[in-house]
Amino acid sequence: MDLLIYAILSVKNDSEKLNVLLAEMKGVAGADLAAVAFESTSVVVSNIQRADLAADRNTAIEYAAVIETLSQHFALLPVRFGSVMESKEAIISMLEKNHPDIQKNLINVENKYEFGIRIFCQPEILRAELRAKSEAMYKNLLPPATETKNSATWDWVNKKLREHRLEELLIAHVDSVITDITEQLDRLNAISKIKKMVTPTTIIDGVFLIDKVLKDELIHIAGDLQNKYHGLNFILTGPWPPYSFVDFTVK
Amino acid sequence: MYDNVIDQSKDITILELLDRVLNKGVILKGDIVISVADVDLVYLGVKLMLSSVETMEQLKSGNAILPINPGK
Repeated sequence: MDLLIYAILSVKNDSEKLNVLLAEMKGVAGADLAAVAFESTSVVVSNIQRADLAADRNTAIEYAAVIETLSQHFALLPVRFGSVMESKEAIISMLEKNHPDIQKNLINVENKYEFGIRIFCQPEILRAELRAKSEAMYKNLLPPATETKNSATWDWVNKKLREHRLEELLIAHVDSVITDITEQLDRLNAISKIKKMVTPTTIIDGVFLIDKVLKDELIHIAGDLQNKYHGLNFILTGPWPPYSFVDFTVK
Repeated sequence: MYDNVIDQSKDITILELLDRVLNKGVILKGDIVISVADVDLVYLGVKLMLSSVETMEQLKSGNAILPINPGK
């Protein structure tokens, strides 16, 4: 029998609170939950046969539900689904070896929520708007005197130039949206990780960590940004446990 | 129409949740057991579903799917 690991918690002096909470919960496949403690941290586990760990969506959701409930009571570091260790001794050894990194990460996420933001565009509409803008900006550009207007060379160069200008405008537009968002988030002292142009339709895929008390303010900011950028589609998700803000490699 | 919006928002929430549970968090090296013949089937499924959401987004207009309109 192995141990399925859900999360690493900062329990401090609240081990009794954790035990009461775990007694009221069930893990994957209805298994009982238990805590393995080392100093002020605890790892929440349940018994599992490796061969019985189903790789399906419902099991992953059950697993996430445990982390979600625990995160409402304790600062924690979520562990990736499917992580198994063979014994309590192995877990304690892992906690001991990684104690400084675990503490540092737990302090970083204490009393904070993670939120995700994805910003989608309708590429053809956005490109048409930017194309019109680009052509307005460069409408007075004339072909070189040595070329005629109908030359194949000029047509090719002109087409490439237009494409290049459109890409430049698109990148500048995305950058301006990112700047706007980060300036707004800076007001909340948010820690953010933002990727741009993830796909042709997803122009921004970001996550950020904010104090729990600022949740409502964040929702207002996101709403204001959506109203400002009508051509873009904002999706804000959360609050999440801090899945995206675990910043260490287990030794 | 509202039911439609709510259902889609739930789908997105589940996809975001699965993306986090399967792809983020503390990694205990060598102990991830969710794979068959070196192919992570669950994660592969999530990536396909996320692609589907983006396709859906392309087909939608304006902010019909938005769950973030404070005060409205």
